[in-house]
Amino acid sequence: MDNTINRRDFIKATTATTAGVATLGAGITLTTYVNANENPVTNEKRWGMLVDTNQLTESDIDGMVSACQKEHGWGDEIHSTGDQKAGWIKKVKVKDTATQRISNLALMCQHCDEPPCVDVCPTNASMKREDGIVLVDKHLCIGCRYCMMACPYDARSFVHEDLTDQKEHMPRGKGTVESCTMCVHKVDKGEQPACVSSVKSDAVIFGDLYDATSKINQTLKKVQSTQIRADLNLNTGVRYSGI
Amino acid sequence: MNRWMVLLLSLMVTSVFAHGHSEHTLGTEADSIKSSDKTYHQSISMIRKMHPEFLNHKRDKTLRQGVRTEEYSLSGCVTCHASKKDQSNDYHAIDASEQFCSDCHQKVAVTVDCFSCHRTTPAEGVK
Repeated sequence: MDNTINRRDFIKATTATTAGVATLGAGITLTTYVNANENPVTNEKRWGMLVDTNQLTESDIDGMVSACQKEHGWGDEIHSTGDQKAGWIKKVKVKDTATQRISNLALMCQHCDEPPCVDVCPTNASMKREDGIVLVDKHLCIGCRYCMMACPYDARSFVHEDLTDQKEHMPRGKGTVESCTMCVHKVDKGEQPACVSSVKSDAVIFGDLYDATSKINQTLKKVQSTQIRADLNLNTGVRYSGI
Repeated sequence: MNRWMVLLLSLMVTSVFAHGHSEHTLGTEADSIKSSDKTYHQSISMIRKMHPEFLNHKRDKTLRQGVRTEEYSLSGCVTCHASKKDQSNDYHAIDASEQFCSDCHQKVAVTVDCFSCHRTTPAEGVK
């Protein structure tokens, strides 16, 4: 087989591919609406989550953590110790010093509208998708960990060791930073994040913050909710009620 | 003397061709596509030459724009081109020596860095 491609062949083949896509596109217009994965995401949506700490039990939070571990395959690192361990989602206890009231919350990447991790990233690896999901592009990540320092929620972790047998949808590797992806691979398929579906009650709601018909939008209109460290004006995608 | 030269040269040529034995490491799924006389890639020479560009372009679209089509997805490469082990139903890692990726990459001494993060076998449950 001749391994070289001349320009003419390349153009011919590319045109053929384009034509193929166009014909295919006409045939599958219906599916395109259901599964919009062929089109780039837009800022007409903003994915968000509402955590109701009054309803959310401690075992719910443990379930969320293990659902996340199972979905993304973190938590089995052998050589990482203490602070080095991955923690995409954590159980955090908050205690009111006056009344001694304790609330438990699940804390993960808050998917800020103005994420500090994106501001500080020197390589543009830390990025926010148009629909508000904050991700690390590990192809570009050089492992400097500025973003971990910048994050007010301590939501990111660094992979300290060689890994094998990663999940197909979640590449992870030594020398890169990682955090909650809001299960972007599931969201793009129209599913719910793993932690949200692990909770049986309505304690955690996921949806499009902008969509007036969505459950999360309607609930946020009704109930008092807050953003953690709202004073930083980051406009987080993850909201909490009951704290 | 000339006879010896011819012999030496032909040995060298054979060894070069012997090295390009990509046939048996094509991958289990890809093998079955090939043996059923179907084609997956429009032009194999194009894929051979351009796959780094295709993959780089696709990864940015997937990660940054959420475009998750099958075309040029790395997991798609792995699903077809990973080979099953002879004894068990498990797969060889695609970047292992003598397997699909390393077959060429070793020869031309180009490091593949895809698989320090990406899964080297088809997704769990694919048998």
